[in-house]
Amino acid sequence: MDGVHDLGGKEGFGRINRSHEDKPFHGDHDARAYGLSVSLRAERPYPIDWFRHVRELIDPVDYLTRPYFDSWLQTSLALAIDKGALTLEEVTGHKSPGPIPDNAKPLTREDVHKIVVTPPCFEQSTDTPAAFRVGETVVTAARGHSGHTRLPAYVRNAKGVIHAHRGAHPLPDAEARGEQIAEHLYTVEFRAADVFEEVANNDLIYLDLWESYLATA
Amino acid sequence: MSSFDPQKITKIHRHLHSHLPPEPALRVKAMESLLVEKGLVNPDAVDAWIEAYTEDIGPKRGAQVVARAWLDADFRARLLNDAGAAVAEMGLQGQATGHLKAVENSCDVHNLVVCTLCSCYPFGILGMAPAWYKAAEYRARAVRDPRGVLTEFGVDLSDDVAVKVWDSTAELRYMVVPERPAGTEGWDSDALAKLVTRNSMIGTDRDLSGGETNGRRS
Repeated sequence: MDGVHDLGGKEGFGRINRSHEDKPFHGDHDARAYGLSVSLRAERPYPIDWFRHVRELIDPVDYLTRPYFDSWLQTSLALAIDKGALTLEEVTGHKSPGPIPDNAKPLTREDVHKIVVTPPCFEQSTDTPAAFRVGETVVTAARGHSGHTRLPAYVRNAKGVIHAHRGAHPLPDAEARGEQIAEHLYTVEFRAADVFEEVANNDLIYLDLWESYLATA
Repeated sequence: MSSFDPQKITKIHRHLHSHLPPEPALRVKAMESLLVEKGLVNPDAVDAWIEAYTEDIGPKRGAQVVARAWLDADFRARLLNDAGAAVAEMGLQGQATGHLKAVENSCDVHNLVVCTLCSCYPFGILGMAPAWYKAAEYRARAVRDPRGVLTEFGVDLSDDVAVKVWDSTAELRYMVVPERPAGTEGWDSDALAKLVTRNSMIGTDRDLSGGETNGRRS
C-alpha cells in the first residue's frame, strides 16, 4: 500500500527529536494506551500483518501526528469493532455497552507474565525449495500493490545480493488478506548507492524480503 | 471473524477520528472505561504490561548480553550465529527475541537498526523503543542519510568505516554488539555492562570509552 507509513528514504523530514528518550512511555496516558492496546489485541489474537495493515489504514495526518501508542489503541479498537467484539456506537458513546461477548476471556496478570517471557516462532515449514541461494544477485519487484506488503517503496526495482536465507515465514501480503502462505524469506544486501541517487559511498542496506518480492537479476 | 476488508477498516477509522475525544489522554481514559465495563480488558493486565516494560524488561538485558559477548568468545560466536538461542541461554528470552539477530561493530563497520515501515524493535531484550526510533524523522532518514543521522547523535564516522543499515521488514529483530572500549581489560561483566548504552545497541552510539553519556546507560 502506497501509504504514509512507508517512510524509508522520504525527504523533507528534519532533525530527530530526542526528548523523552530515556523513558519507556510518554507519561501515564501513553502507558495506558499501550497496555490497553496489547491487552485487547492479545485477548483476541490477530495475525501480526493484519494488525500492521489496519494501523497503516489510519488517516495519514493522524498517522504522522498522533502519539505512537494512541495509534496502537486505535488499531486495536478498529480490529475489535471489525470482528464484532465491540460496536462503533459503544465506542463513540452513542449506546451504553452491551453484554460481555460470550467468548471474551480478558487477559489476566498471569497471562501477561507468561507472554512477556515467551518468544513466538514465525518460521514455518514448506515443501517448496528455496529459489535463491546466498550470494545470488536478485532484483526486487518494480511496483507495489494497494494491499499490505513489506517491500518498502525505496527498494523497488533495485538490484541486491542474497545475504542469508531465513527459512519460510508467513507472507505478509497474504496474511493481511486472511490467507496463510509460507514463503522463503531472505536477508538481501543493497548498495545504498544503487538505491539512492545522491549516495556516493560504499554503505550497505539490508532488508528481510520474501521470495515473491524478488526475481533473478 | 475479521473481515480483512481495508475499506471497512478505513470507515471505522474515520468514525473513531470524528467521534472520540481529540485529546489523547481523554481518549485513552474513555476507552479504558468502556473496555473494562464491557469485560474485554482486565485493568490488572494493563498494569502488568506497563510494569513489565517499566521495571523488568529494558536495555539492562541487552547490556548484560553484550558484556558477556565481550568476555566469552564462545558465547560471542553463539550470539552472532543465533542470538535468540544465546539470550535464552541467559534466561533473557522474551517477546520478539525468537528471531533475534546480533550484528557486530568493528573498527571498519558500523551497524544501525531501523524499521522504516512501522517500528519493529527487539523490545524483549532492549525494552520499549525510544520515542525517536518510532518517529517519522528517524524512519525516513536512517536508510537514506545514516551518516547525517549519526552526526546528530554525536557519532562522526570517518569515510573508511562502512555503515550497514538493517531495515527490520520481517519478524527478525536486530541488535548491535558495540565494540569493547580499550582500557577495560580485567573488568568484570557488571562493570562492562554499565558501559553499554541502549543507543549503542541500536547503533546511534558507538564509542563507549568516554565519560560522556549518549543515550541511556543501562
